[in-house]
Amino acid sequence: MDIRLLRASDIPLIQHANLENLPENYFLKYYLYHALSWPQLSYVAVDVSRPQKSPYDYPKIVGYVLAKMEEEPADGVQHGHITSLSVMRTHRRLGIAEKLMRQSQLAMVETFGAHYVSLHVRVSNKAAIHLYRDTLGFKTERTESKYYADGEDAFSMKLDLDFIREQLREEEGGGEEKEGKESEKNAGKEGEEGENGEHADEGEPVGEVGRDPAKGGKGEQKIKVKVGRGLGVGELVEKVESKHS
Amino acid sequence: MTQPSSLPPLTPQLCFSTTALRDFLRLSRSAVDDTINQNLNALETPAKAGFDPTSTARLGPRPLSHQIDAASCNAFKDKVLFPSWQVRSDLISYCSLVATSPDPDDPERALREAENEKNWERVIDERLDPYSARYFPREARTEQLAHVLRQEMGANLFRTVIRHYEDKQYKRGLKAAEQILKKNPKHGDTMSMKALILNAQGKTDEAFALAKDALTIDMKSYICWHVYGILYRANKNFDEAIKAYKFALKLEPDSHQIQRDLAVLQIQMRDYPGYIQSRLLMLKSRPQLRQNWTALAIAYHLDGNLQQAENILSTYEKSVTTTPLRTDLENSEALLYKNSIISETGDFERALEHLETDCKNCLDRLAVMELRARYLAQLGRKEDAAKAYRALLDRNAEHPDYYKGLIDALGIAADDEAALKAVYDEYAAKNPRCDAAKRLPLDFLSGDRFRTAAKAYLTLMFDKGVPSTFANLKHLYSDGFKKDTLPVLAEEYLKEHSGATDTGGQTNGDSSKGEGAALYFLAQHYNYYMSRDLSKATDFVEKAIKLDPKNVDFHMTKARIFKHQGEIAKAAEAMDHARSLDTKDRYINSKAAKYQLRNNENEKALATLGLFTRAETVGGPLADLTDMQCIWFLTEDGEAWQRRGNLGLALKRYHTVFNIFDIWQEDQFDFHSFSLRKGQIRAYVDLIRWEDRLREHPFYFRAALDAVNLYLSMHEKPQNGTNGVEGGHANGDDAAEKKKAAKKAKKEAQKAEREAAEKAAKQDPNKKSADGDEVKKKDDDPNGLKLAATADPLGDAMKFLWHLLQFSPKNIEGQIAGFEVFIRRSKYLLALRCLKAALAIDKDHPKIPEQASRLRKALDGAMSSLAPKVKEVIDSELASVPGA
Repeated sequence: MDIRLLRASDIPLIQHANLENLPENYFLKYYLYHALSWPQLSYVAVDVSRPQKSPYDYPKIVGYVLAKMEEEPADGVQHGHITSLSVMRTHRRLGIAEKLMRQSQLAMVETFGAHYVSLHVRVSNKAAIHLYRDTLGFKTERTESKYYADGEDAFSMKLDLDFIREQLREEEGGGEEKEGKESEKNAGKEGEEGENGEHADEGEPVGEVGRDPAKGGKGEQKIKVKVGRGLGVGELVEKVESKHS
Repeated sequence: MTQPSSLPPLTPQLCFSTTALRDFLRLSRSAVDDTINQNLNALETPAKAGFDPTSTARLGPRPLSHQIDAASCNAFKDKVLFPSWQVRSDLISYCSLVATSPDPDDPERALREAENEKNWERVIDERLDPYSARYFPREARTEQLAHVLRQEMGANLFRTVIRHYEDKQYKRGLKAAEQILKKNPKHGDTMSMKALILNAQGKTDEAFALAKDALTIDMKSYICWHVYGILYRANKNFDEAIKAYKFALKLEPDSHQIQRDLAVLQIQMRDYPGYIQSRLLMLKSRPQLRQNWTALAIAYHLDGNLQQAENILSTYEKSVTTTPLRTDLENSEALLYKNSIISETGDFERALEHLETDCKNCLDRLAVMELRARYLAQLGRKEDAAKAYRALLDRNAEHPDYYKGLIDALGIAADDEAALKAVYDEYAAKNPRCDAAKRLPLDFLSGDRFRTAAKAYLTLMFDKGVPSTFANLKHLYSDGFKKDTLPVLAEEYLKEHSGATDTGGQTNGDSSKGEGAALYFLAQHYNYYMSRDLSKATDFVEKAIKLDPKNVDFHMTKARIFKHQGEIAKAAEAMDHARSLDTKDRYINSKAAKYQLRNNENEKALATLGLFTRAETVGGPLADLTDMQCIWFLTEDGEAWQRRGNLGLALKRYHTVFNIFDIWQEDQFDFHSFSLRKGQIRAYVDLIRWEDRLREHPFYFRAALDAVNLYLSMHEKPQNGTNGVEGGHANGDDAAEKKKAAKKAKKEAQKAEREAAEKAAKQDPNKKSADGDEVKKKDDDPNGLKLAATADPLGDAMKFLWHLLQFSPKNIEGQIAGFEVFIRRSKYLLALRCLKAALAIDKDHPKIPEQASRLRKALDGAMSSLAPKVKEVIDSELASVPGA
């Protein structure tokens, strides 16, 4: 068994695993959409011990996590979402699902600056709920009635990813302590930083106009502007983030 | 307030200078009509209440409470809007007069006549140039003017047609188009738009006919050519579409839309030089967009010109004066893309340098770490490489490549088992839940070291009750010692742990879990083809079931053992029993259905699968499984129908699989532009390269080989009748049985068809055909009767065979089937090629001498009809094949 990033050529067998395991199925194109929009987020578990039957054998997928970033987050906060996760019955109890999830969560923070990850799970799926809640630390946000096509309800669950940010910051050796102290509405030039003020380069002038060097120091108070990817300028959302201080 | 358009002096010169005329009309419209909203908004007295800052933070539309003052509204209407319309109407009626009057001062008359003269002498060879027959005679300026005016008068309505089409309001669009055509039946652009709408409604033939008419009427309209191209594209004739787009572009070189459509088709068809050309033009017209630079680099890259690809990316980078934000994903990905291009040149030194400087802050941390480790290893910087691989293992200790990289970097010899084991042990200790670090050493350990490690691993797995233990270890069976050792260890474990359940008292759940897992392992061991002893396998699985009668996995293996005993019906029954133990699990449901199919119970299998397919899909489980591209089912179902003698349904399923691959190939279409917007270029290039070899997939190979073999048997045994059900010629019990089955199948098929028809009749006709709905094409051959009625099975087989030979040439089954088809079609050279390919794959394959002698025989009979050169070639080539 090998846990690694998803590749385009894995997709037919991921689709196959999904069709074998779960009632929620998708066209191949939907997998492509994930693989080409957020290629860093989806992982597969591969059975590497199968003997080759032909020179064209594709690695057998025994588990996968298909993940995305929410394109237009309703709350304006960048976050990831688990579209589908499954492990073949024959490969359970090896902790594959947990390992897949952890890889995906890490990439959500690193690459896309996600603040949390959300998912839906059938209220009857005890094993999955155990994994999400007890092993990974998800919290149930609410119950969505009749979420699934067959009429079953879903728990909408959420995991705050700040603990990963914390880890990454420690690893980087405190290079980035300027985590958003964005409390004051300061509609200056800096307002155009992009969706994550805290990742912006420090002290470097941006463009000809530059910034006032006196204001460029650490601890500067700045506004955090959340722009949902794909939103038009008209829907630009300004938000005061008091949650992260 | 906007000023009304003022009337220019009315002279014939103004009319004949059609550009000026058009510009005037266009400007007047865009300044007044098209901006009517803005004009009206401007009338609203601004900032009466002052600026409210919260208004920018509010989501959703603003309330419509603002009323425009009636007086200013009327003033706008009377002083701006109506006068503008009047001016336009005056100008148009004056010019219409000019256009219909004689034009004695035409300066181009002589020229026109000379050109007409010349046209008679032109050589037309449509094979060399499909457009050579086209001749556009120079129009008199009055004709041109009339054309412009006609367009103008229809222009507003025409825009309505386009808008309706884009909104998928097809009925309304058609109505508007008819309105224009009533006044002006020869308006090419409108005819083209009408064709486009018809095509969207599924009336393809009608659409093509109309688009062709439109073209003959107005060959100089880029719209007509563009639509012609769109129609071809919609019908998957990409080559013709490209030609039509190119023509449209010649007529309207500035159209971004046509250029973009053309470029997408070119990359879809892998016309790299054409794509480079298009991308160059697009870059020139909009160099400020980074996408356009990246796209040109991709074009060069895919065409194999790495140097130029890198140059283009660098040129853009240099042109940017501001430092991109660290969160700029497009920038981050473009840098990593450039790095991948550098590494493809093989210059790892430079790739590493670029990675460590330019890509230092790239957002895809994993990619940066992996690339760095690889480059360091390639460059022989072992110490750094080891560190890099350790960092990767800290991230993900379940990826065997990282261990391999670390071990290579540490320079540990392949036979130094102790040192190798130490590396893995370190990570096993670090990550108690890690599987790879404990399991991978079993691959290289030998003798007692293997025994010890395997025992520890098995004990751990059995104690936890991991069901996949056997599946994770069976690859070790290629080593005889390991194959013999593993079951002994499992038995030892059993001895130590069995009886725990009998003694009652101190029994805990865990020990019975371990016993069950060990029994399960042994059952699978004796069921595996390299260590098969089915009676022992049965013993172990029964013991396991006794221990835990409701265990799905145990019953699943019991079914597998039946299958290997050749007891197909019992196997299906056992698997269905396993399913009944956990009806919420689709995996076991799928397996039960598969075993039913193996037992030729197509209907039952479909019903089983129907427990999990979407209930609301029209057409039931089969339609859902087809929609969801469930290839395993389609293939197994086809094979089962084939065994039952229902060739129609078998062919139908194989063709459905073929079509799914067509869809998968087409799926990349949208990503040519999507990926540029998203900026995930490396993933896109990965997709393109995979799509190029899409049909090598075993999913395709299996269904296609089934189809080819079925067509071969149809050629050998022609069908009697058109029902697609085998019958007639064969003799004996088998044949009678087949005939019976065929009859039954036919009856069932008819019944299903009747039911479907009834269902369709019952459906509310209004529900489906609402305006704007895209029509789902009806399958006119749901049971494959037409497919089975083919008069040329070998010809039909070619559709599948070409892809087999092209994409999986190293698969001997394909070559053997290819030979069988070609020899029957008397294509001796092609048959020979398959034979030689098969020989190269496996010279001992029993089919080879047999096919060689058949080819020799066929040639002896046909030599007289072959060209001497061909005969010579075949003779010399065949001489080296054994058996010929």
